[in-house]
Amino acid sequence: MSAIKALNPKAEVARAQAALAVNISAARGLQDVLKSNLGPKGTMKMLVSGAGDIKLTKDGNVLLHEMQIQHPTASLIAKVATAQDDITGDGTTSNVLIIGELLKQADLYVSEGLHPRIIAEGFEAAKEKALQVLEQVKVTKEMDRETLINVARTSLRTKVHVELADLLTEAVVDAVLSIRQPNEPIDLFMVEIMEMKHKTDSDTVLIRGLVLDHGARHPDMKKRVEDAYILTCNVSLEYEKTEVTSGFFYKSADEREKLVKAERKFIEERVKKIIELKKAVCGDSKGFVVINQKGIDPFSLDSLAKEGIVALRRAKRRNMERLSLACGGIAMNSVDDLTPECLGHAGLVFEHTLGEEKFTFIEQCSNPRSVTLLVKGPNKHTLTQIKDAVRDGLRAVKNAIEDGSVVSGGGAFEVAVADALIKHKPNVKGRAQLGVQAFADALLIIPKVLAQNSGYDPQETLVKLQTEYKESGQLVGVNLSTGEPMVAGEVGVWDNYGVKKQLLHSCTVIASNILLVDEIMRAGMSSLKG
Amino acid sequence: MAAHVPVAPGYLQMLKQGARYYSGLEEVVHRNIEACKQLSHCLRTSYGPNGLNKLVINHLEKIFVTGDAALILRELVVEHPAAKMLVMATQAQEQEIGDGTNFVLILAGSLLENAEELLKLGLSVSEITEGYKVASNKALELLENLSCLSLKDIRDVTEVAAATKPSLASKQYGYEDFLATLVAKSCVSAIPKSGEFSAESIRICKIIGASVEDSVMLEGMVFKRETEGTVNSVQDAKVAVYTCAFDSAKPETKGTVLLKSAGEFMDFRKGEEALMESHVRDIAEAGVNVVVVGAKIGDLALHYADKYKLMVVKMTSRNDLRRLCKALGATPLLSLTPPTEDELGSCSKVYLQEAGNTQVVIFKQNQECPMSTILLRGSTDRLLDNIEEAVNDAVSTYNTLIRDPRLVPGAGATEMQLAVKIADFGQSVPGLEQYAIHAYSKSLQSITRALADNSGTQTNPVMSKLYSLHQQGESSAGVSADGEGTDLIDASEAGILDPLLLKHWGIKLASEAAITVLGVDQIIIAKKSGGPKPRGENPNWDVPHDAIDN
Repeated sequence: MSAIKALNPKAEVARAQAALAVNISAARGLQDVLKSNLGPKGTMKMLVSGAGDIKLTKDGNVLLHEMQIQHPTASLIAKVATAQDDITGDGTTSNVLIIGELLKQADLYVSEGLHPRIIAEGFEAAKEKALQVLEQVKVTKEMDRETLINVARTSLRTKVHVELADLLTEAVVDAVLSIRQPNEPIDLFMVEIMEMKHKTDSDTVLIRGLVLDHGARHPDMKKRVEDAYILTCNVSLEYEKTEVTSGFFYKSADEREKLVKAERKFIEERVKKIIELKKAVCGDSKGFVVINQKGIDPFSLDSLAKEGIVALRRAKRRNMERLSLACGGIAMNSVDDLTPECLGHAGLVFEHTLGEEKFTFIEQCSNPRSVTLLVKGPNKHTLTQIKDAVRDGLRAVKNAIEDGSVVSGGGAFEVAVADALIKHKPNVKGRAQLGVQAFADALLIIPKVLAQNSGYDPQETLVKLQTEYKESGQLVGVNLSTGEPMVAGEVGVWDNYGVKKQLLHSCTVIASNILLVDEIMRAGMSSLKG
Repeated sequence: MAAHVPVAPGYLQMLKQGARYYSGLEEVVHRNIEACKQLSHCLRTSYGPNGLNKLVINHLEKIFVTGDAALILRELVVEHPAAKMLVMATQAQEQEIGDGTNFVLILAGSLLENAEELLKLGLSVSEITEGYKVASNKALELLENLSCLSLKDIRDVTEVAAATKPSLASKQYGYEDFLATLVAKSCVSAIPKSGEFSAESIRICKIIGASVEDSVMLEGMVFKRETEGTVNSVQDAKVAVYTCAFDSAKPETKGTVLLKSAGEFMDFRKGEEALMESHVRDIAEAGVNVVVVGAKIGDLALHYADKYKLMVVKMTSRNDLRRLCKALGATPLLSLTPPTEDELGSCSKVYLQEAGNTQVVIFKQNQECPMSTILLRGSTDRLLDNIEEAVNDAVSTYNTLIRDPRLVPGAGATEMQLAVKIADFGQSVPGLEQYAIHAYSKSLQSITRALADNSGTQTNPVMSKLYSLHQQGESSAGVSADGEGTDLIDASEAGILDPLLLKHWGIKLASEAAITVLGVDQIIIAKKSGGPKPRGENPNWDVPHDAIDN
C-alpha cells in the first residue's frame, strides 16, 4: 500500500510500472481510434452527440474535440494534438499516432529494464537531428498558385472524398490569394464561410464578394440590384427608448398625435440624409444598398423602399469589416458626414430565398479583398464536414505562404528522417542511442498506416520505400493507388513545413513527459464524493 | 467532473461514463444496414397508388393516418444515427423536389440490403461503395436519355393535369383526375407572366364537411375568419391594408394623460372621438371600402368603420397579410393614413360565406391574380390533411417541371429500364465493382417490385415478364395499378409520367446516403444529455414571431 493510502484511505493511486502501463495503454488506445483516419483512404467515424446530432468526420481534430475523453492521459494527448491544430491547422492525427508509437517503442526498452529518463534523453537528441534533417529536405520555392494547390490538395484529400477535395482545393487557394496583401499577415477571417442547406456538396463555390445570411425585410425592396453603391453603416435607424425613465404628458388626442410624430423625427432625419446621398450619387440606372449593423424599423424601411433603396439590417459585426474590404468604402458610424467617398461598389446584389431562409449575395466587386466560400450540402453533417475541411485547407495555404517552403508528403519525410537518425545513432553517447532508435522506428508509423489504410501490407510497402530511398536518394512516399514508392515532390504531394516542425516538437515533449510519470493519484476532498 | 485514476486499460475507459463505442464491420456496418433496412421495409408498403396507410401517433398524441413518407418520417422521430441519415436524404429530396421521398428511402434501403449480401460474400466496403458510385453516375447519365415526353406548355391546363396526375394518384388514388384538374387550374392561373412560379402562390384552405368532389378553386384568397364589423360583402372592393393597429396612434414612450378637471376629461373623450372619426372618414373618402388590419382593432375605430360602411378584416399572420397584398396589388401601410391611389388594392368581390360550420372571408378576383386558393372539402380532418399533402406534392411537381419540363415513364418503368441497362453495363466493368453494380441494378428493380407487391399482383412472374420486355427495348412497360385485366401497362401510353428531375435527385441522394452509411466504420455515441433538446438556430432571428397580435 502506498503512503498516500495511509494518509487518505479513499485516495486512488497507480504507481511505477502500473502508472506507466496505464499511460502507455491510453496512448495506444487513442492511437488505435485515430489510426484508421489517416490519409486520403482513411475511413469515417460517426459521432452521435448527447442531443442526438450526427457528425461524420475523418478529421482527427474534430474527433478529439467531440469524443469527450475522460481518461487523464488520453485527454492530455488529445489536448496537445488539438493544440497542434490550433497552431498549424493540420497534423492532429499524425501527432496522436506518433505519440502512441513513441510510447510503444519506449515500452519495449523499458520492459527490458532501461530507465525512462535515458529514453527521454534519446528522444531529445533524435528530435534535434530530425529538425536538422527537416531544414535540409525542405523545399523553398516561389509559392505560385500551382504549388499552393498541391499543398491544399494534400491536406484536403485527407478530409473529404476526392472529387470534393479537388473542387475545394481551387476554391480555397483562390480565396487565400485574393485576400492576400503584400507585406501584411493573412487574416483568414476575411474569408467568410457561409453554409446553405441546398443541392449537393459538389455545388460548393467561391464567391468573389460577400454572402449574408439574411435578406431585406421589406416586401417592396428589389430582389436584384445591378451596378450598386454599397453603404455600410452602424447607425440605429429605429426608435430607441431613452436610458432614463421618461414619459409624455398630454391633454388631448391632438397633442398625443403630435408627440407620436415628434418621437420619430430624429430617426427620420437620419433616413433623409441617406436618401439625399442616394439621390446625389445615383442616376436612374444605379442601385443603392444600405447594410446596417444596427436595426432599421418598419417606417424607415418603408421610406427607404419608396426611394428604391435596398436596406439590410442587423448585419454581423465582422461582415461590416469584410464588406468594406470586398466592395471598398468605409463603414460609417454616423450619418452626419456622409460623402460619396464612403460608398463601396458592387456589380450585382441579389437575394436568394431558400425555404424560410434568405441569403443576400453581393457579387462582382472590383478587386475584392474579402471573399466568401459558399458551402452547400444536402444535410447538416455534410455541411459541418465541409466547413471543417475548408478551414483546414485555408490554414494549409496560409501556412505555405508564410513558411515560404514545403516538405514532401506521403510518408516521404518520415522515411528520410528515420534513415538519417539510424545513421546518426553512433554519434550519440551511451544508452541514449536506444532512444534515438525508438524515435526513428516510431516515425515510420506514418507510411505504415498510410499503406495499411489503403489495403496494402504495411511492412512490405515500408521496405520498398526504404530500398527505393536508399537507391535513388530521392524523397519517396507511398503511392496510395498502387502501393508502390513514388517521388512525392513530382506528383505534387506537399505538406506544410510548419506542421512537420510543430509535430516533431510537440510529440517529443509530450511523449517524454508521459514516460517520466511514475505515479498517478487522485486524492482531493471534493473530487472523491462521486 | 473529476477524472478517476483508470483501472483497466481499454477504449471505453477513456470516454465519459455512459458513452457507447462501436467499431468494425460486425458491430457497425451490419447494424447500420439492419436499422436502415427496417426503416425502408416499414415504408415500402406505402409506396405507389396501392400503398397502404400507416397510423402514426406522435409525441403530442396527435393521430395521423397517412401514406405520405415525408410525413411519416417527420412524425416518427427516428433516433438511430444511420437510419437518421436516410431520413436526412429524404428531407433533402423533400426540399429539392417536394415529392418522391419514399423513392429515396426504398432505393437507399435496398442498396444497403444488397450491400449486406455482398459483404457476407467477402467484398470490402470500399469496393462496394466504388461500384455504387460508378453505377449511380451511369444511372444519372442513362436517365438523361429516357425522357419520353416533355411538358410543352406550362400554361395548358390539360397538359399540366396529366403531368401532375401520377403524383396525386400515388397518394389519393381514386380522386386523382378531379384533384389533378383542380391543381392544374390553380397552378396555371397563379403563374405570373415572367414564369417564375412559387409554390407559395397556391394556398390551401381546408374546411370540414361535404365531399372531396365539392372542393373548388378560387382566384384570390380565402381566410378562415369572420369579418370584424357589420359589413359582410362588398362588390368591386378597394382595399387598404394596414400593418399597424386600427386604433389611435400611441407613442413608444409611456404616455400619461394629465387632466385637471371633469370638463377636461369630457373634452379629451370628445377630442379622441373626433380625431378617430376624422381618420376613418379620410380613409373612406379616399375610396376605400375594405380595410384589412394586421394588428389590434380598437372598438372606437370599428364603430366609425361601421358608420362609414367599411368592411374590416383582421389578419393574424404576417405572411397571410403579405400574400394578400400580393393578390390584391396593395401596399401595406404602416400608419393610419389614407392610402394613395396606387397603394390601394382592388378586388372583384370580398364576402363572408358560411361553408359547413365555418365562416370564411373570401377575396375573389375575376381578373388575373398571382394567388389562387384551393378550397378543400372532405368528411374528416385526416382526409383533409392527406389531401393537402397530396396537393402540395402535386404543386411541387409542377414547380419541378417548370425547371425541367422533361418527363420519364412512371409505374416503375424507368427504374426497370435503368436496372436492365446498368446490369448490361456491369458486365463490361472489370474488377470486383461488377458485383456492386449488379447489386445496384437489383436495388433499382426493388422500386418496381415494391409497386408490384403493393398492387397485389404475383410479383415474381410480373417482374420477370417486365425484365424481358425491357430487354427487348420496351422502355416504358410498367406495372399496372388497377389490378384489372393485365398486370402490365405501357406507362407512357397510359399517361403515367414522372418528372425527370425527381428521379435524378432521388437516385443521387439515395446513392449518396447509402454510400455514406456504408463508409462509416466506427460509431461513438455520447451519453444522452438530459433536459430539453437544444433549440435549433432560428433563421429569422431578427424578426419577431409571425403572429403580430399583442
